[in-house]
Amino acid sequence: MTQKQPRWRGGLLALGCEGSANKLGLGVIHHSPTGEVTILSNVRDTFVSPPGTGFLPKDTAKHHRVHFVPLALRALAEAGAAPSDLACICFTQGPGMGAPLTAVAVAARALALLWDLPLVGVNHCVGHIEMGRAITGAANPVVLYVSGGNSQVIAYAERRYRIFGETLDIAVGNCLDRFARTLEISNDPAPGYNIEQLAKKGGARLLDLPYTVKGMDCSFSGILASADVLAAQMKAARAKGEDTFTEADLCSSLQETVFAMLVEITERAMAHVGSNQVLIVGGVGCNERLQEMMGAMAKERGGSVYATDERFCIDNGIMIAHAGLLAYETGFQTPMEESQCTQRFRTDEVYIKWRD
Amino acid sequence: MTAETQNPSQEDTEFPCSIDIEIPFHTERLADVAHRTLSVDKELSSLVRRSFSLRNQPQEGSHAAATVLHVRYKATTNRMLRVAVNAFMESLYLVIEVMEHLDVDPGKKQAAKQA
Repeated sequence: MTQKQPRWRGGLLALGCEGSANKLGLGVIHHSPTGEVTILSNVRDTFVSPPGTGFLPKDTAKHHRVHFVPLALRALAEAGAAPSDLACICFTQGPGMGAPLTAVAVAARALALLWDLPLVGVNHCVGHIEMGRAITGAANPVVLYVSGGNSQVIAYAERRYRIFGETLDIAVGNCLDRFARTLEISNDPAPGYNIEQLAKKGGARLLDLPYTVKGMDCSFSGILASADVLAAQMKAARAKGEDTFTEADLCSSLQETVFAMLVEITERAMAHVGSNQVLIVGGVGCNERLQEMMGAMAKERGGSVYATDERFCIDNGIMIAHAGLLAYETGFQTPMEESQCTQRFRTDEVYIKWRD
Repeated sequence: MTAETQNPSQEDTEFPCSIDIEIPFHTERLADVAHRTLSVDKELSSLVRRSFSLRNQPQEGSHAAATVLHVRYKATTNRMLRVAVNAFMESLYLVIEVMEHLDVDPGKKQAAKQA
């Protein structure tokens, strides 16, 4: 690799590797000695399955194996970094889908050994939270982490990201993604994105869907089942030539219902901890309607909502590099023998040594 | 480099389907990297047993380096054996690809530093 003038002076660099779902992301980050964070590269490739289908572990793992080397080369080239510039290799240890996680872990281990660098296993959720904090500068917000795989309301207390509320069954993003399959909406670039666009055309009719908040938690599998029933009714009515509601009405109603539930449990957590700031992270956090509804609630409480753009709210490698490097700087490393991935990895299992 | 804990004849009855795979690498370092990377993850199925060892090229003498990664897979059925070995091959291929495109040769690094 050619020796370019480095865009950094002092501090540490890390490579982050993410592959817990269908996005393979790699990124190189720089932490200056004074704690300034610079993103040197952030590259990603998404495995998209055909409309009406979801992504299966085996195919997703294969996608990650095929794209790892080209993406890694791109990440280094765009950062202008060589392996000798790096302090550590960070990878998502969990939570997520087993085969895809392991595919990326295998590559990360090989790099750590070839380049003689320490390995740092990162909790995917903590990656999202730390990146959200770094990008938005939010001091100590309540965090709503919503994606295809996770739905949690989190607040920081005494060196842990504590879960105040969560889904009792499926993630809100999973509910949306599976409903997209019911309607056979395209998964490109993401099913949730296409539901959002379709929802913008609806809203004339608010359809009746169950609202399932249970204390600090909520559940989404029942809403999904109800939405599927309504979709079947729509198709049947259409087949008979009757006037009926549309896909746009369904998408809009589904969003309004699930997002209102998320706003409610987030507000409950905010009341508990006495905060008026909300940070939304995770793929579903890209949704502008969710940001709007959350913003209205936060404003009523005299606060504000923070969100990042698709570079960071969608799964990416740079958040893993960032959270990993934060841990590494406190002396944390993952021994090779303990670098197995795990599908279940609670957010509060991580000791957040780098915060007070 | 795992030792068998049961006597061979008992194991062979329980895991009658087996295969030995030998993967030669250019250097001892690369064989060691492959071994350490691939031995971390346990076999998912209890119907499959796997063991690794690093060996010399058969035609070389006693001073030869351990450049061959030897893997023995044993399973209760041929189907389990095939599934496990296929998965291993996919991971192995990824490791080799990473070595091929992303390795930094320590020798080259030294030469560059001195230049």
